[in-house]
Amino acid sequence: MATVPKQIDVGSDYKEKYGFFVPEDYIFKAKRGLNPEIVKEISWMKKEPEWMLKFRLRSLEIFRKKPMPNWGADLSVIDFENIFYYLKASDKQSTTWEDLPPDIKKTYDRLGVPEAERKFLAGVSAQYESEVVYHSLHEDLSKKGVIFTDTDSALRDHPELFKEYFGTVIPPADNKFSALNSAVWSGGSFIYVPKGVRVDIPLQAYFRINAENMGQFERTLIICDEGSFVHYIEGCTAPIYTTDSLHSAVVEIIVKKNARCRYTTIQNWSTNVFNLVTKRALAYGDATMEWVDGNLGSQITMKYPSVYLMEPGAKGDVLSVAFAGKGQHQDAGGKMIHVAPNTTSTITSKSISKGGGRTSYRGHIKMYPGANNSKSFVKCDALLLDDESRSDTYPYNDVDAENVTLGHEATVSKVSDEQLFYLMSRGITRSEAETMIVNGFIEPFTKELPLEYAVELNRLIQLEMEGSVG
Amino acid sequence: MTLTLDSLDALQGEPDWLGERRRGALATYERLPMPSKTDEEWRRTDISGLNPAQFSELEHKNGFKLDALSSLPRGVILEPLRVAAEKHPQLVEPLLFSLIKADRDRFSALHAAFFTGGTFLYVPDGVEIVEPIIGQHTSHGGGTALLPHTLIVAGRGARFHYLDEYIGRDDEPAAYRSGSAEIFVGEGAEVGYVAVQKWGRNAWHFADQRARLEKDARLRLFNVTLGARFSKTRVEASLVGQGSDAELKAIYFASGEQFFDFHTLQDHQVGNTRSDLLFKGALQDTARTVYAGLIRIEKGAARSDAYQANRNLVLSDHAKATSIPMLEIDNNDVRCTHGATVGPVDPQSMFYLQSRGIPAATAKRMIVQGFFGDVLDRIPFEHARSLIEADLEARLG
Repeated sequence: MATVPKQIDVGSDYKEKYGFFVPEDYIFKAKRGLNPEIVKEISWMKKEPEWMLKFRLRSLEIFRKKPMPNWGADLSVIDFENIFYYLKASDKQSTTWEDLPPDIKKTYDRLGVPEAERKFLAGVSAQYESEVVYHSLHEDLSKKGVIFTDTDSALRDHPELFKEYFGTVIPPADNKFSALNSAVWSGGSFIYVPKGVRVDIPLQAYFRINAENMGQFERTLIICDEGSFVHYIEGCTAPIYTTDSLHSAVVEIIVKKNARCRYTTIQNWSTNVFNLVTKRALAYGDATMEWVDGNLGSQITMKYPSVYLMEPGAKGDVLSVAFAGKGQHQDAGGKMIHVAPNTTSTITSKSISKGGGRTSYRGHIKMYPGANNSKSFVKCDALLLDDESRSDTYPYNDVDAENVTLGHEATVSKVSDEQLFYLMSRGITRSEAETMIVNGFIEPFTKELPLEYAVELNRLIQLEMEGSVG
Repeated sequence: MTLTLDSLDALQGEPDWLGERRRGALATYERLPMPSKTDEEWRRTDISGLNPAQFSELEHKNGFKLDALSSLPRGVILEPLRVAAEKHPQLVEPLLFSLIKADRDRFSALHAAFFTGGTFLYVPDGVEIVEPIIGQHTSHGGGTALLPHTLIVAGRGARFHYLDEYIGRDDEPAAYRSGSAEIFVGEGAEVGYVAVQKWGRNAWHFADQRARLEKDARLRLFNVTLGARFSKTRVEASLVGQGSDAELKAIYFASGEQFFDFHTLQDHQVGNTRSDLLFKGALQDTARTVYAGLIRIEKGAARSDAYQANRNLVLSDHAKATSIPMLEIDNNDVRCTHGATVGPVDPQSMFYLQSRGIPAATAKRMIVQGFFGDVLDRIPFEHARSLIEADLEARLG
């Protein structure tokens, strides 16, 4: 017998579980708005080297000059002058939960972070507003030379490694929001995995926005040296305010020869967050990069994790799930840029729209001249749960290389009547049956997650589904 | 010399309303900017080498060759479009350029201002024409503008086939060409429309095809694109009546330095409609092709069924294919599937044929012919099929 899911009210559950906020008590809160003074202030607060300040100011210029994207979701409602670009909640970073300020500790306790860390993580980092407030790494990993720290500390403690790679995968001028991030970035994770080291259990970062009108601009840089492996997981939540917050991260990843990196995101921002993120990886000879990207929350998400396949044998994978409920627009997908011969890529996208939500798959496969004998396959499936919702597919496929094979397939459908009939004829209610079908639909995604996350994701989907039916 | 208001004087003997429209379209042409690479539709389409206005001499001012049938059923009107505008204004005036708007872009405006040849075909309710009707548009030299426009109106339950054939010589100098068609398919009507584009290899070709399908109407629309150095074709079907069904198919073969661009739209405005699109292309030498298509299912269009596929067979190492099949679905009670492929000749098929003693060149030709076969076989014109087959043979040697 299938276990019967309990009916829970969605709205109140997000509020209880993630939607709470703790009173604002910051040791430093920059003024609203964006100008060179704010940027200088951030850099000064962080006691950064001169080159970083210059980098920030140059990026601000670029941000100013670049027009807003005229495609994808409607971003005209973002008021860049009404956002807090930098908030510091604690003046020191902790390596044990007990040392955290009580407010912050309470936040992460409620999110269940310490428990998760004990159970199955090799390292944890927690970012609260602009700064990382907690991080830890298993001792045996640090002995092997693995670095897992926040990006600000990395700039201070590993300046050479940092400067060699920072901004090389995603330059500030890449797009308007990467420029914005480059100007005001703060926090994020820095990971270095030395040659041949395998980090067998995942590293995890928790991103939390607490204040209203907050802008979170973390910057993550992961370097997998030759033959190494790492699995990094990030989770994102925020309270529900009546006005909007902005999350605009930049994630750069370098996967060297024969290395493998997996990057898993469970994005469950509250539905007042604009989530505009640039994620890109460079994969070198026979390296594998895998993006596992789940988008459940936020008001608008625009995010297309990409892999540049730089050397022969490189492999790229994107597995993307998007769920758009009322008032949400998930504009997600992936990009595979084949530069070298004998490279392969796959993108699998599963999207679900309900209650007037809109999901868009947007993807790009590019095979440059010289990327001969490469292969790419894209599959997008969309499920529309009611007649108010919408689904789009925008796949761009450019082939300029020799002897390559490229395939794209997509389907859009509703929950099939046959499947519903089958389940209901066995005494399962309609809403349970629909939930089961949706969970089955996204199974290729959930089965790639660590068990704890798969369970959590199924539960989230169940909650979302129950909101719609009955 | 360029195309200006004076050029319109060459088009004597037209009714006032048409002259008025042409002047309006010309003003639109002069107002609109050239499309640039920042326009999504033109990002991969390079028109920097083109100044359409330099081709100031208009061809086919007095119509074109119609393969006249010995006898047409009563009530059928088949005339050069400019003649029909004079003789049947009540039919032509409300429909002409109502599906293809002159202000869509600069090239649409130019076409609306200076269209010359082209047909008006009106088939009244319930009339069936068994023999196909063929309109041939042959260019007589380079340096000119030749802009035929076809307007087809099918009454309730009418049934017929029509073929537009655009022919030029490969050794003609550069020229400006279009070949647009507006097709109104009435309730329960069944229309087959085929456009075969075989302009000379130096021509610039811009075509807009748009059909409107009423209740239970059925359209089979085929494009065969082989000619021109640059060819941009829009193929759009609006399904506005329940039970309507559009089949949009194309084959194209780009070789040498040819560039082909196709933009398609399957616009399901109401429910219980069906569309089936298949564009198959082969690319050789340094040719480039762009396919971008959209299925749009509007809010109320429940129980629609739409299919869209673009298949590209890349025969050389330097050809480039772009394929962008898009979906915008606003109703959940639908079935929509699309797919795109770009790939070389399957080495296993080659091996199979060669292992049976077939030389490599012949094997390749057989595979290409087989690739086009499923679309080719559905074209309702023996004449068109043999034309295409001859062209394929010539290219594949």
